[in-house]
Amino acid sequence: MEGRILEHPILSFTRQKRVRIFFEGNEIEAYEGESVAAALHAAGIKVLRYTPINGRPAGFFCAVGKCSSCLMEIDGVPNVRSCMTKVRDGMQVRRQHGKGDLV
Amino acid sequence: MKEYDAIVIGGGPAGMSAASVLGDHVKTLILDENDALGGQLVKQTHKFFGDHAHYASKRGFEIAKELTDEIYKKPVDISTASTVIGIYPQNTVAYVKDGREELVRYKKLLIATGAMERQLPFINSDLPGVYGAGAIQTLMNQYGIFPGKRFLIIGSGNIGLILAYQLAQTGAEVRMIVEALDKVGGYEVHANKVKRLGIPILLKHTIVKAMGDESVQGVVIAEVDDKFGVIPGTEKEIVVDTICVSVGLIPLTELAEQAKCKIEYIPELGGYVPVRDERMHTTNSDVFVAGDLSSIEEATTAIIEGKLAAMQIVKDLTKTDLGKEISDELKTLDIFRSGPKSFKIRKGLEKMGIKVPEIEVPKLFQTPIENAKSKLHAVIECTEEIPCNSCESSCKFDAIKVGENINTPPIFDPSKCTGCAVCVTACPGLAIFMEKLDESPNATIGIPYEFLPLPKFNEKMWGMDKEGNYVCDLTVKRVVKNPNKTNIVYVELPKEFVDDVRHVRYPKKESPFVCRCEEVTLDQIEKIIDSGITDFEEIKRMTRITMGPCGGKNCKMITLGIISRKTGIPISKLSHGTSRPPVKPTEFSAFLRGDEK
Ligand SMILES: Cc1cc2nc3c(=O)[nH]c(=O)nc-3n(C[C@H](O)[C@H](O)[C@H](O)COP(=O)(O)OP(=O)(O)OC[C@H]3O[C@@H](n4cnc5c(N)ncnc54)[C@H](O)[C@@H]3O)c2cc1C
Ligand code: FES
Repeated sequence: MEGRILEHPILSFTRQKRVRIFFEGNEIEAYEGESVAAALHAAGIKVLRYTPINGRPAGFFCAVGKCSSCLMEIDGVPNVRSCMTKVRDGMQVRRQHGKGDLV
Repeated sequence: MKEYDAIVIGGGPAGMSAASVLGDHVKTLILDENDALGGQLVKQTHKFFGDHAHYASKRGFEIAKELTDEIYKKPVDISTASTVIGIYPQNTVAYVKDGREELVRYKKLLIATGAMERQLPFINSDLPGVYGAGAIQTLMNQYGIFPGKRFLIIGSGNIGLILAYQLAQTGAEVRMIVEALDKVGGYEVHANKVKRLGIPILLKHTIVKAMGDESVQGVVIAEVDDKFGVIPGTEKEIVVDTICVSVGLIPLTELAEQAKCKIEYIPELGGYVPVRDERMHTTNSDVFVAGDLSSIEEATTAIIEGKLAAMQIVKDLTKTDLGKEISDELKTLDIFRSGPKSFKIRKGLEKMGIKVPEIEVPKLFQTPIENAKSKLHAVIECTEEIPCNSCESSCKFDAIKVGENINTPPIFDPSKCTGCAVCVTACPGLAIFMEKLDESPNATIGIPYEFLPLPKFNEKMWGMDKEGNYVCDLTVKRVVKNPNKTNIVYVELPKEFVDDVRHVRYPKKESPFVCRCEEVTLDQIEKIIDSGITDFEEIKRMTRITMGPCGGKNCKMITLGIISRKTGIPISKLSHGTSRPPVKPTEFSAFLRGDEK
């Protein structure tokens, strides 16, 4: 199941302003207040990077900034925890390959 | 550099309750990495156990809000989105906010950073789609994003059980919970909430590997032996898209280590933990700890520990006499930890030199409720000694008693029960039901219901038993909506099933199994009855129902219920066939004598 929960027996979700973020150049739906990893997951994107040694796909694990499994390249900066970074209008997000190049 | 009397790191229940106390007396700063305070609580949608004074019966996110509202009224400096990255010499805390390092000084420091989830090594455990329980909760309960469609949960502790329930509330399919031990780790009432939804808990099983190329597409599970080794040949593949690991928490001790607090390995408390005394003082005279960092426990104990640490800090800094308040909190903590479920914590604390007195949980005996059955009354199915008394506090008529020791299971006095059902909505374990059983062939039961859509008057639904199996068709008679979102659905059903039905659901497209041994469905039986055959023995011969290894203990009643519903004849008037030995599966050889072959 992808996408956003509209109705919930206990919670009610009020979404903030719609923003545009770009994943590998393609626009995906996101709302202010969401983390990058969450917005990507809602769009069905689970692979966030490929690991440095074996090139294995990796996604998030803890979603609260503790495990560093979710490192991505955000606006050109590598090794950013995508679970702790909030979406911003116009943000460019890319999968990180390996350790990330220092610019 | 800014200097504070007290700095609190971590804005979970431990840190918040501490900062609230501190703010009243000394100059205080609280730092948390998240945008909002609340810690673990913000993503918990279930009602918490505990006592009234410590927010029992409230949902986690509501407790977070109350604590947050309180702290914002106090003269406390609050800095969120502030990640503490180190403790430097000369009592200095370094944190990053808005991409910049900030340094602040403290006289006393309280570290309440909580815990992180344990990972479990298995083949492909790094595959996207393998998530920690907390991650799934963050996605679905904080961001409102579906975390997946089909789930397998590893670990049957309270977190795994609660997660399964929360997932079901979003409409996700939880295929099963696997547990390596031979019994469920969490509270019985939490397990029951999940089992009656039809989510199986597979004991003595583990995960062997996750399958999939780019993300999880399935999982292999297998049975384990007493040493937790996989038993070859028992492997099974299951189609899921998300695997949730909830095999425990590890205290986040790095900052305490940097603050030069002594750390010891005490597995009963969660692994490496800072050594501290009864009042949360570590081996560094300026540093205190509280909450999950000091021992993996509960929100209630985290709140009390936070207060204790704060009071001791105030006492040290201002010489205010808080002796009485401190000893009151210590007493509450002792009672909380006196139950059998806190056995490990007591043992762990003892290793640290903290003696938790063994307080015996009194054994109370339930008076029979037979004489009150004809009026609408509560039925309490909570028999485990857990620290909770929300039912007692909710009942205005004094019909439920837990008493001084909060671990005592509740005792119910039916003569005082007015049928108001407030306890049903208050119970965090959803373990209280309503029941009315009078002369009529139909009984009424009231079931706590936290799903969408909410059933409507006169709708036909299925009654499900404690394991999530179909029991009978039933009719919705009344739906009571409650502000706390635990609604009550009152249904009418044949009175024979009043002790069995514990959940209602909308009929599924596939026909449910009436007899699992012989794999006979409701559909098959109804078709036979429609063809004119209404005798139980006849149906039994045609379908082999009740003839399987279980001896037909459940399916016989269910079948009689179906015949009764279709023919209009009460179950008591139906012929129920004959029972034949053996009543339990028995090897053929048992019937052979001596040299017979
Ligand atoms: C699924 C689940 C169900 C639960 N159900 C119950 C229940 O029914 N009843 C009950 O009593 N308890 C329950 N608990 C337990 C309860 O939530 C925890 O025991 C409690 O939250 C611990 O509080 P804490 O303040 O120690 O830690 P936390 O709540 O974990 O808070 C720690 C805070 O510190 C912050 N932090 C950590 N490191 C840093 C850093 N370096 N810089 C800045 N900030 C940092 C974190 O972001 C977090 O906000 C449940 C827990 C879970 C996971
Ligand atoms: S998923 Fe663990 S740090 Fe982001």
